[in-house]
Amino acid sequence: MSSAARISGVTQPPVPTSADRPSGTAGKPAEKILIRNLDFYYGDNKALKAVNVPLYDRRVTAFIGPSGCGKSTLLRILNRIYDLYPHQRAEGEVLLDGRNILDSGQDLNLLRARIGMVFQKPTPFPMSIYENIAFGVRLFEKLPRAEIDARVQSALRRAAIWDEVKDKLQANGLSLSGGQQQRLCIARTVALKPEVILLDEPCSALDPISTAKIEELIDELKDDYTIAIVTHNMQQAARVSDYTAFMYLGELVEFGTTSRMFTTPGDRRTQDYITGRFG
Amino acid sequence: MDLYRRRRLRNTIVLALSIGATAIGLGWLALILGTLVYQGFSGLSLAVFTEMTPPPGAAGGLLNPIIGSLMLTILAVAIGTPIGILAGTYMAEYGKYAKLTVVVRFINDILLSAPSIVVGLFVYEILVAPIGHFSGWAGAVALALIVIPVVVRTTEDMLLLVPKELRESATSLGLPRAHVVRYVSYRAARAGMITGVLLAIARISGETAPLLFTALNNQFFSTDLNAPISSLPAVIFQFALSPYADWQKLAWIGALIITFAVLALSITARALAASGKSS
Amino acid sequence: MVDLALPSSGDAVASGASRGRILARLRLSDAVFRHFTRASAVLVLVILSGVIIALVEGALPALRAFGFDFLIEERWNPVTEKFGALAPIYGTLVTSFIAMLIAVPLGLLIALFLTELCPMWLRRPIGVAIELLAGIPSIIYGIWGLFVFAPFLQRNLQPVLIDWFDNVPILSTLFEGPPYGIGILTASLILAVMVLPFVTSISRDVFEAVPPVLKEAAYGVGCTTWEVVWNIVLPYARVGVIGGIMLGLGRALGETMAVTFVIGNAHKVSASILAPGTTISATIANEFTEAVGDLYTSSLIALGLILFVITFIVLAAARYLLMRLEKRVG
Repeated sequence: MSSAARISGVTQPPVPTSADRPSGTAGKPAEKILIRNLDFYYGDNKALKAVNVPLYDRRVTAFIGPSGCGKSTLLRILNRIYDLYPHQRAEGEVLLDGRNILDSGQDLNLLRARIGMVFQKPTPFPMSIYENIAFGVRLFEKLPRAEIDARVQSALRRAAIWDEVKDKLQANGLSLSGGQQQRLCIARTVALKPEVILLDEPCSALDPISTAKIEELIDELKDDYTIAIVTHNMQQAARVSDYTAFMYLGELVEFGTTSRMFTTPGDRRTQDYITGRFG
Repeated sequence: MDLYRRRRLRNTIVLALSIGATAIGLGWLALILGTLVYQGFSGLSLAVFTEMTPPPGAAGGLLNPIIGSLMLTILAVAIGTPIGILAGTYMAEYGKYAKLTVVVRFINDILLSAPSIVVGLFVYEILVAPIGHFSGWAGAVALALIVIPVVVRTTEDMLLLVPKELRESATSLGLPRAHVVRYVSYRAARAGMITGVLLAIARISGETAPLLFTALNNQFFSTDLNAPISSLPAVIFQFALSPYADWQKLAWIGALIITFAVLALSITARALAASGKSS
Repeated sequence: MVDLALPSSGDAVASGASRGRILARLRLSDAVFRHFTRASAVLVLVILSGVIIALVEGALPALRAFGFDFLIEERWNPVTEKFGALAPIYGTLVTSFIAMLIAVPLGLLIALFLTELCPMWLRRPIGVAIELLAGIPSIIYGIWGLFVFAPFLQRNLQPVLIDWFDNVPILSTLFEGPPYGIGILTASLILAVMVLPFVTSISRDVFEAVPPVLKEAAYGVGCTTWEVVWNIVLPYARVGVIGGIMLGLGRALGETMAVTFVIGNAHKVSASILAPGTTISATIANEFTEAVGDLYTSSLIALGLILFVITFIVLAAARYLLMRLEKRVG
């Protein structure tokens, strides 16, 4: 692998050997999202420097790195949620299916309906479980009651929580346990039929059993969605992802298939992080 | 006396004084409430609520001031609450980082504690002098001007307490800002906002000064808002300063009614705030 | 079961287009809502400007007629139309000053009690009780003052005070005169009770915000409770306490009903605090509806303007101090 390719962060990964997945051109999956020369500023502070990384269609890409390396910042650029705050700006290109979403003409609400996000802290809306899901669906589509019921059920099944809540759909979303609330948030995101799902440390506030359930869920969801997950838990990244990106101090240090990154990382810093030399 | 003993003595004296101060404070409360109940309770009867205010020497009740107060209060809340909520919403949601918000917050807090008699003078200048006569509308507007700062303050405070992750979750579903505010932020802050309205009602229930030259007073039963209208505080003012014993008695009864209403509202508001916090 | 899998690319484009249309429609209502909120916020500023403008406009005739002398003239004569604001201003300032003199130490002591001495289970009830004092409408204080407190003072306290200070050089003038019952002292005492809950609540909140680790360090070297409060808590909480005091002062200056009943309504400046007097708000409350003639009305509005200016300055200073405190803490 040439050092130039390594430094720019874009490498040519071989097709993953696990179960067959649809791919774009022969041997390489399609790029759902391509991040090109991305800089990000909090006020005058440059938090991301010239990041280049692809997110492949219907694969799971994990972002790992020590605290403050910019991985959450990067994720929050993908659905432009940083736009809510002044003094935060991004420069560069983020191409979704070829179109730059950082363009000022981009419809943000439309973008966010295509790219869903699940946060570190479970955030059920202050409504019933049913309403949490139906609320977003109703906004975009005029459906009869029966169809909305079906969509709600489908979303809750997809998030592997239907059996636990089917008898109490009118209960307040806040009455669920932490792990259940997080799965509710995932169901809520999935109900809007996004194309990409962003997960920002989704399990860090949860117990091990809930974590395991959600990791199983990610494995099922990747059949249909492109997934990007930020995690500070390296073992989790190794378990769930197809590709891994290692970030350090605002730069993308290395990117590759998960199996290669964890067995033979190219960059010295990646190796140090993975072996626990720092973190 | 050696140094240590002197220090101990000083300490004991101060602590004793603090207990004494608390006793004085609580004592005042008991004294005032006690007199109020003693003087007002003995005169309470059904007639108070069904008969008009009498001329001196005759028997009567407080029907017109009670109805008048109710009308003015409802109107003031109807006018002031929407304005207050909308302004508070701007300050906490849309204009959170705007300079306008800093200025408005400063001005609002001054209006909050400004002398209410000045408010009365203001409304006199704009709604009574030009029109030529006193009216219930003017009184309602004067009270509304007292409601607005209270509601603005509590709305802004409560909305700022809504965790930013909740807003971000709703936004990342693609919901437009107004939806996020109305269906997520408002719902999350609902208990607190209602508390604010209750506190505003409690505040204007006892306000006399703003009514003295706007709604004035009316001896007879009237629901005409275009003319002077009676209110409990105005009647208490007039009757208490008069030399007639039965009028003074009615003043005490009116005072008891107002105090009871204010305390009930305050306790309800407090209970609501507590339950909102625990959920 | 409804299919939640990704639609094929054709469907994706179609649903994207329809979503786009819905969002475009919602964009309009979103913008309208946003403008309404902004307008309401601006309205708050408009109200304040309106108040100032209306007061100045109403006061202009009187100010033009009397000029600066308005502030130092004691005479208040509706018949000859000669008005001077000295007595009301003096009364406002003196009653508020005496009220604060009493309420501030009491309030701080109660806050001390609540934060350092009071057993846990009593704290909330007592705190609530003190706040109930703040909730009682001022007209209640007024009639209580008139019917209960003033007679009590007249019979019991005032004769005592007059006797005590009879031969003391300066204080005898402060406490001389027939015991009316009503007057500046009575009004001040009632104001003190009204201001007390404000000072107490804010002081208590600020005392509670002192980091426990600071107090523990002081206790650890053997300080008594009082020494901890005097040397650690008060300096730390200084800004907040002063802010609270000024808020209380702002309230005392503007208080109308409680004072009107018991101040005696005499347009005189007296050395004795047992004498009747008047305050700005009491004057306005008592005389406005009977004021005949433009100059009379205008003079009363001029009084209102003076009061507004005084309270504005005090409240703005208090707000500024409290803003500095918030910035420092968090």
